[in-house]
Amino acid sequence: MGLRGTCFLLQSYLVLAAAMYFDLGEQEEKCIIEEIPEDMLVTGYFLLEPWDSKPFTHSPHLGVTVTVRDPDHEVLMSKRYGKFSKFTFTAHASGQHYLCFQTNSTRFSVFAGEKLRLHLDVQMGEHSINPKADRTKDNMETLENSLRHLTDQMMYIMRQQEYQREKEETFRQISEDTNSKVLWWAVVQTSILLSVGFWQMKRLKDFFIAKKLV
Amino acid sequence: MRGRWLNLDSPVLGNIFNMDLSWRKEGYRSRLLVLAVVFGWCLGSVRCFGQSQDSEFTFLLQAGKSECFFQTAAKNGTMEVEYQVIAGAGMDVDFTIISPTNIRLIIESRRSDGVHVVEPTEEGDYQICFDNSFSRFSEKMVFFEIIIESQGGDVGGDEEWAGLEEPDGSLLEYKLEDIRESMESLHRRLERSRQMQTVLRAFEARDRNLLEDNLWRVSFWSCASVLVMLCVAFTQVYTVRKLFDDRRRVCT
Repeated sequence: MGLRGTCFLLQSYLVLAAAMYFDLGEQEEKCIIEEIPEDMLVTGYFLLEPWDSKPFTHSPHLGVTVTVRDPDHEVLMSKRYGKFSKFTFTAHASGQHYLCFQTNSTRFSVFAGEKLRLHLDVQMGEHSINPKADRTKDNMETLENSLRHLTDQMMYIMRQQEYQREKEETFRQISEDTNSKVLWWAVVQTSILLSVGFWQMKRLKDFFIAKKLV
Repeated sequence: MRGRWLNLDSPVLGNIFNMDLSWRKEGYRSRLLVLAVVFGWCLGSVRCFGQSQDSEFTFLLQAGKSECFFQTAAKNGTMEVEYQVIAGAGMDVDFTIISPTNIRLIIESRRSDGVHVVEPTEEGDYQICFDNSFSRFSEKMVFFEIIIESQGGDVGGDEEWAGLEEPDGSLLEYKLEDIRESMESLHRRLERSRQMQTVLRAFEARDRNLLEDNLWRVSFWSCASVLVMLCVAFTQVYTVRKLFDDRRRVCT
């Protein structure tokens, strides 16, 4: 692993260390819901640490199983990783995807029964973050990279906006469905009520006439 | 979800020295020192206007449970937390922010959305907790967003450099700096747009969930209502007939 590889890992690690984390018990599965439009590449970086951040005297064998489910609850991806890694997947359907994390640290660890912390960072879109780019050189190269980054960002915003427009259409459709359903049911109920009322009256009248009470 | 600017800037540098302390034991000291020097030099050639990070997550909070999320913050920065309940009966949740010194900064009970800014932040891990223990049956889907800005913030990127003198003879250098500066400003505004978009998306998700619930409820209760009406009608007719049958037998 050369210097650049170390650089990249170090940066990701450091950025993750400042990212948000939550606690994960052993064998516990926690899920995060992400609303992802179609054909978007999603990259997730995670880092698993023991809760107390003690220095590793023995290094326990920590592992994370990442399961990604699509809006129809079908498994899109399920893989096992070490304690610091990244995963990618492409969403084929628009909607709510479920990213689930489960630790399966081996029982040999000294930290059995303790909580672990999972740092997580999920990024969407093809990022042109290229940590290997040599920033010490050219200003032009830096500018080029920055421009590419900005373009990516704008594409992402536009894509999200399109997706938002699609969802708003669905929303409007549901809204109109509800409205017409309410109207239809009200009409049906009123007509049933009236017809049942007439039927009751008629039956009882016939009945009383038959029994010679009226 | 975040188009983060390349991250060779100040908050990261602080972490390098922490890393240094923990890695020293494994003998990576010399390599790390070289890296630190390189980063330090890179820092000199890159203007940092204040790093901004945000994380946004949606998760399912089971009934009767409580979930906490932790965010590391640097000294004297700002942290903005926004949350919304986007699905669940009742659509409310308890919200708490606990500082690294275990002081409860913000306690909210049964709110459906909220925005809070913690400024200035202390060094350490802030705990952001959502509590659904008051609800026995309904699970809530909660969306939250944390925006962390380190010192420097994102105010006035243009005014900051208004006093920059044009150096003699290095016009090209100045133009490049100019371009870079406007790009930084553009990046910040795009970040802000993205954050607004996220918030609006959460609003829409909440409304849509509510409406889908409504649709289901309308259909269900309409069917139930019709069934009840029919049952009642038949029961009434049957009961009245039964009454007269008995009486007739009694008479005879």
